[in-house]
Amino acid sequence: MEFYSKQTGESNNFLALALSSRKNLCIHPEVSALRFGKEVDGKCHSLTASYIRAQRHSTPDVPVCRFYEEFDAVGRQVPLPAGIYNLDDLKDFGRRKGWCPYYLARYSILHANIVVYSYHYLLDPKIADLVSKELAKNSVVVFDEAHNIDNVCIDSMSVNITRRTLDRCHTNVDTLQNTIQKIKETDAAKLKMEYRRLVEGLKEANVARETDVYLANPVLPDEILKEAVPGNIRTAEHFVGFLKRFLEYLKSRLRVQHVVQESAPQFLKDIFDKVCIDRKPLRFCAERLQSLLRTLEIADIADFSAVTLISNFATLVSTYSQGTKTLLHYSCSKICMDPSIAIKPVFQRFQSVIITSGTLSPLDIYPRILDFRPVTMASFTMTLARTCLCPLVCNYPQTHTFKNTLTLTLVDSVIRNYGNLLLEMSAIVPDGIVAFFTSYVYMENIVASWYEQGILENIQRNKLIFIETPDAAETSMALEKYQEACENGRGAILLSVARGKVSEGIDFVHHFGRAVIMFGVPYVYTQSRILKARLEYLRDQFQIRENDFLTFDAMRHAAQCVGRAIRGKTDYGLMIFADKRYARADKRGKLPRWIQEHINDGSLNLTVDEAVQLSKHFLRQMAQPFRQEDQLGLSLLTLEQLESEEMLQKIAKIAHQT
Amino acid sequence: MDEEPERAKRWEGGYERTWEVLKEDESGSLKATVEEILFQSKRKRVIESHGQVRLGMMRHLHVVIDCSRSMEDQDLKPNRLTSTLKLLETFVDEYFDQNPISQLGLITTKNKRAEKLTDLAGNPKKHAAALKKAVDTVCLGEPSIYNSLNLAIQTLKHMPGHTSREILIILSSLTTCDPANICELIKTLKSLKVRVSVIGLSAEVRVCTVLTRETGGSYHVILDESHFKELLMLHVKPPPASSSSECSLIRMGFPQHTIASLTDQDAKPSFTASGVAPGLSLGGYFCPQCHAKYTELPVECKVCGLTLVSAPHLARSFHHLFPLQAFIESPVEEFQEDRFCQACQGELKDKSIFTCPSCRSVFCVECDLFIHDLLHCCPCCIHSQSAP
Repeated sequence: MEFYSKQTGESNNFLALALSSRKNLCIHPEVSALRFGKEVDGKCHSLTASYIRAQRHSTPDVPVCRFYEEFDAVGRQVPLPAGIYNLDDLKDFGRRKGWCPYYLARYSILHANIVVYSYHYLLDPKIADLVSKELAKNSVVVFDEAHNIDNVCIDSMSVNITRRTLDRCHTNVDTLQNTIQKIKETDAAKLKMEYRRLVEGLKEANVARETDVYLANPVLPDEILKEAVPGNIRTAEHFVGFLKRFLEYLKSRLRVQHVVQESAPQFLKDIFDKVCIDRKPLRFCAERLQSLLRTLEIADIADFSAVTLISNFATLVSTYSQGTKTLLHYSCSKICMDPSIAIKPVFQRFQSVIITSGTLSPLDIYPRILDFRPVTMASFTMTLARTCLCPLVCNYPQTHTFKNTLTLTLVDSVIRNYGNLLLEMSAIVPDGIVAFFTSYVYMENIVASWYEQGILENIQRNKLIFIETPDAAETSMALEKYQEACENGRGAILLSVARGKVSEGIDFVHHFGRAVIMFGVPYVYTQSRILKARLEYLRDQFQIRENDFLTFDAMRHAAQCVGRAIRGKTDYGLMIFADKRYARADKRGKLPRWIQEHINDGSLNLTVDEAVQLSKHFLRQMAQPFRQEDQLGLSLLTLEQLESEEMLQKIAKIAHQT
Repeated sequence: MDEEPERAKRWEGGYERTWEVLKEDESGSLKATVEEILFQSKRKRVIESHGQVRLGMMRHLHVVIDCSRSMEDQDLKPNRLTSTLKLLETFVDEYFDQNPISQLGLITTKNKRAEKLTDLAGNPKKHAAALKKAVDTVCLGEPSIYNSLNLAIQTLKHMPGHTSREILIILSSLTTCDPANICELIKTLKSLKVRVSVIGLSAEVRVCTVLTRETGGSYHVILDESHFKELLMLHVKPPPASSSSECSLIRMGFPQHTIASLTDQDAKPSFTASGVAPGLSLGGYFCPQCHAKYTELPVECKVCGLTLVSAPHLARSFHHLFPLQAFIESPVEEFQEDRFCQACQGELKDKSIFTCPSCRSVFCVECDLFIHDLLHCCPCCIHSQSAP
């Protein structure tokens, strides 16, 4: 920043900030001590909600958050000074000024030049409505690391209801009823007012949408806005009764023993037949509940998460008949199979949307599943001064047939082969090795038999072994120890799972990951009903074959895993794919270009010995001193080189290659 | 002079892909690349001359030899340990040849422990003997960098401030088994101004990178045996002294070698004060201060503590201070005059020629290497000085 203004010779008015949840940004001494995001949200709400603050005017002993008060009093007039803020900077700033960083950040995104936040703030309708709806139309949206964007979209539009949710919902509804009763006795006028407002409908929202001020909310479909809330749920009591009926219906449905899969229209018809609930009121459910909660002045929203979930479910299921499915089996889940529903408003609203990731490959499948027409697609290769990655494909016999990836009838010899590979690698690779398995069960079984065969003991003579578990706290502990072991020269191996936390979010720079080993191809659990439904939908709607999608999904995860090791041009790492199937053209073709480039025929189908020899040679080569000057002109350009005609042409050529 | 070190049987070697290095030229011939490779390997030497910088001439170097299990690996022939020890023998010779007033000590580490093989001493023979004996060592367990550094520090920290304190670790294993946090030790090393360099035999290990970076040493990983030798020879040259190290004048004695003539009947064989083989001899070096007798130089007088050297010793380390400038490389086409090397009088056939910057004489590659590695002065410059 300072460098920039010095170079250009002018001070620029540039504001960039990061936004996160209350949990990460809260500086209130009591609230920030809470451990769970939900608790923090709830507590914050109870301290800052408008009616609480209104109450305080009359009775001063109601606790409020002084940071928020301070911010509300002065913070809005004074904009955040230009600069670049990450979460800690924001917190610091907040502490200094005594303003709430969370609200400050939320307010500041309106005039910030760059905002960095999680996908959910834009894609998840419930949050997007609060946070992102006032973003200017001409903003550029960049989805970085977007290789998983379809899953995020689907998650944000899917609802999962278990019996426990229903039980909690039941108590919620009871409380609602009681509160309504109480308010009716004391303050009947309020309810009347709400009623009137509902008759007028959501006109305001509609006007806003037409003038294009806000980002469209997919939970709030267009039709609703044009109509008034239907009569049978307008009064509070009726609405509660309605909710109760709906709940009972869901409960009865959950009692089934076998798996039921229904499309949305089927589900709606059934619900109409059984408890006489029409489609229309269901649609308004979410909105109506919001309104009710506001009217009833219920402070702790967190407690009502169950009932909110149910009402969202009702709205979603009644609105989107296409591309969703209801699945009843112990738990009831509404799954959205069409990721385009969630992302559509984003495409509609913003001028340019950029989807980018290091492992976005093959490119053409994304426009198909997200249902958009890309303006340009480009995939850049990495220009490296030295070949700093070394992908090797080892030739293990195919261990299992395609369909039952998870059946654990693993041949002993295969396990031993895997073990030998890891053992040999642990002897020649310095510092850290990360090994990825396809699933937890698979990993546990293999590790158990390694233990029996004594392989584990041999490995431990070379390096320490750490294992990722489904438990987050345990895993982060293991990670910490792993890094410590790499740091002080003991060396370590981290055994983890391809779709786990480690594979997605943790970077293994330099010595933390000198080698990544993929045992097997990380296919999703193909027996999952949700996946089956989704595959079916993809085949019917987008003509994408199941096999294609599964391979695509597996390979993007594989690429994601092995990509963990190389996080920069001075970094280097081995990538070992320990499965014969990677050598096939259909798998290889789906790896990102920058990995594909380095796979030549010589690095396919290697035995353990060959792999060891190659790796030894590679590691020695890479350990030779590497200076910045060597990169100049290849992967690092000086200003003159960048401006030269030749280089510009070269860049243009690379961009057009796709 | 660049004969390929004799290899063991080809089939005993590892899986190699020699063909990948080769590239065909336009006519499909491999000749060009082969020549290129040979030429490159000849030129690969230390050109970076330090110029006029202070060098630590009196060196105290501890060489730590990893004797862990991984030393049994056969990627260096016949195995890593034997190969390392053999190279170290030449290193020791070369070291004392180039740094006659310096000292060296050997430490081995295995099975999580460190042992002293030889104490810091200025006598190459003792070290060579110890290295020869060490060939039979059984390699087992893991090395411990911490323990060996600790052991080296014990002696190094008593060395006077004007000498350079160095540790060279030859590490084959990729792990180290330490009793305590090594970061603390690195800080101590830094404060004691001990320079730690590492030569890795297998791959880059993070802790060594940190260790060498913090203490100002160098870290290299070998590619093959000849590269290993090259890297070892890098450590023969004295390192630049850190500006903060003390300056002091050192008293030195230049004893004369006197042999009592056999005709002299008074002469009796006498005991030497110290030496490799204490025993009776007729002649020896006598300390100018206390007249203690020594059979070999350089040595520190056991009696009065005076450093005893001979004049040629000092002269030999002198050239490090004023290294011969690197010759200028230029393609042979640009050179118009007679195409003969000034040194060997052979025809200049290689692609490049080398010109001495001061007397403009022209040399071929072989002679250029010979002049820089052994002569340390340009023959033509000397000639022109003495002629008038």
